[in-house]
Amino acid sequence: MINIAVSSQKGGVGKTTVSINLAHAFARAGVRTLLVDADPQGSVGLSLTRQSRLLTGFYDYLQDPGIPMDRLIVPTRLETFSLVASGQASDYEAGGGMGAHLARVRAFLRGADARGFDLCIIDTAAGLFGVTSDVIASSEAVMIPQQAEPLGIRSVPKLLEGLNRLRVLNPRLSVLGVCLTMVQQDLAESTEAAAALRQLLPPEMVFKTQIPRDGLFVRASARGLPVGVLDDGAGAQLVFDSLRAEIEAKLEPSDAAHATFG
Amino acid sequence: MDPVNPWLDADEVRRMAERLMMPVREPAVSVADAGFDEAFVGYASERPAPPAPPVPPAPPAPFTPVKPPAPAVAPSAAAARGPFLDRIQHFRDWMSREYAATGMFILDREGAVIFDESDHGRLHFLARSLALASRRPGTSAANVHVKIGAGTTLEVIPVETAYGCLVLGAVVVEALPPAAVSAVMAALAQVAAPPTAT
Repeated sequence: MINIAVSSQKGGVGKTTVSINLAHAFARAGVRTLLVDADPQGSVGLSLTRQSRLLTGFYDYLQDPGIPMDRLIVPTRLETFSLVASGQASDYEAGGGMGAHLARVRAFLRGADARGFDLCIIDTAAGLFGVTSDVIASSEAVMIPQQAEPLGIRSVPKLLEGLNRLRVLNPRLSVLGVCLTMVQQDLAESTEAAAALRQLLPPEMVFKTQIPRDGLFVRASARGLPVGVLDDGAGAQLVFDSLRAEIEAKLEPSDAAHATFG
Repeated sequence: MDPVNPWLDADEVRRMAERLMMPVREPAVSVADAGFDEAFVGYASERPAPPAPPVPPAPPAPFTPVKPPAPAVAPSAAAARGPFLDRIQHFRDWMSREYAATGMFILDREGAVIFDESDHGRLHFLARSLALASRRPGTSAANVHVKIGAGTTLEVIPVETAYGCLVLGAVVVEALPPAAVSAVMAALAQVAAPPTAT
């Protein structure tokens, strides 16, 4: 199983939208995908399941070693797509510093692997500390959604610094790259910020695929669906299929364990 | 107007980004050798740690100062070694009293050991790596902490001194609050300051 953490330094950049729709894109392609809500705000659950606040979830598992893994996994109508909600304990103090929850996060991922998932996408809370740092320190890869606006891009140095620090704990962490989100082609500040980020970072560190700002995402979230399921969501689905293909290409090199994506 | 570049150091950002894209050398230590207890699974290696080789019994004294590297901290070892170590001992006592530190070591900018406690030598690699990863040219050094076992946290505090950046590793029960980190930084900077002419 491959674990991908979806993380950012700044909040409100579209992590949950990227996580849900990317996970759906992989699942549609036949990859057995587990989407985990590791954001205490419970955004994935609130988007996709009406009773998310009643579900036992990821933070409950961190808090209580007695909770069996099977109680956490919520199947969906798509056979290859399952969820783990944030859980009842998601409001509990999630701090404790780097390493405080590492053992439990690792145990969770081993449990998911044992249940036959090929891919685990983990939507984390903003910032690279607390549980988020432990998730990244336990993952094979991290991808970073980044809103195409100047203020967010100014947070990039802090993000890179944090990731370099986490690679000390997890030398095998692969940084898949930054994915520009909420890109507004009709707004000069947005396109200029996107261009500036592409100029700033090495080309291989910025995904070619950009996620546009689109009312479809709000509508999909309101209905508790990935955007590709909407009647007029085919175009948006293509964007996430493109992102999926880029990730597959980045993960492919040599490791036979990645052959499940082939 | 350029929306990004006036706000950050583009060269430094690019260097950090390129570092992220390069493979990281696996630490030359196993989990056990890194000084963690059984609860720690921080390094990515899933291999079980090899059984630790027998180690000689620790000396009875809880803290054993080692000889400081001459150029880094003591320009004139003969003149400065005694007083410096006295000051370090006082600093260690203060850390123990104020913050319940059960262990402490200090590394110089090259990673050489200035002061150590025999039981925690295996944490040097981690401390130095964390300190290096946390530093950016042109900014003040920042502290990092990582839980290393049940009820023990390694607080890594880089401190700028007249002799370069020293890395303090302190084993404490839980991460120190910012005010405590500032106090520790100031205290160690004072301890490491060269003697003033009187």
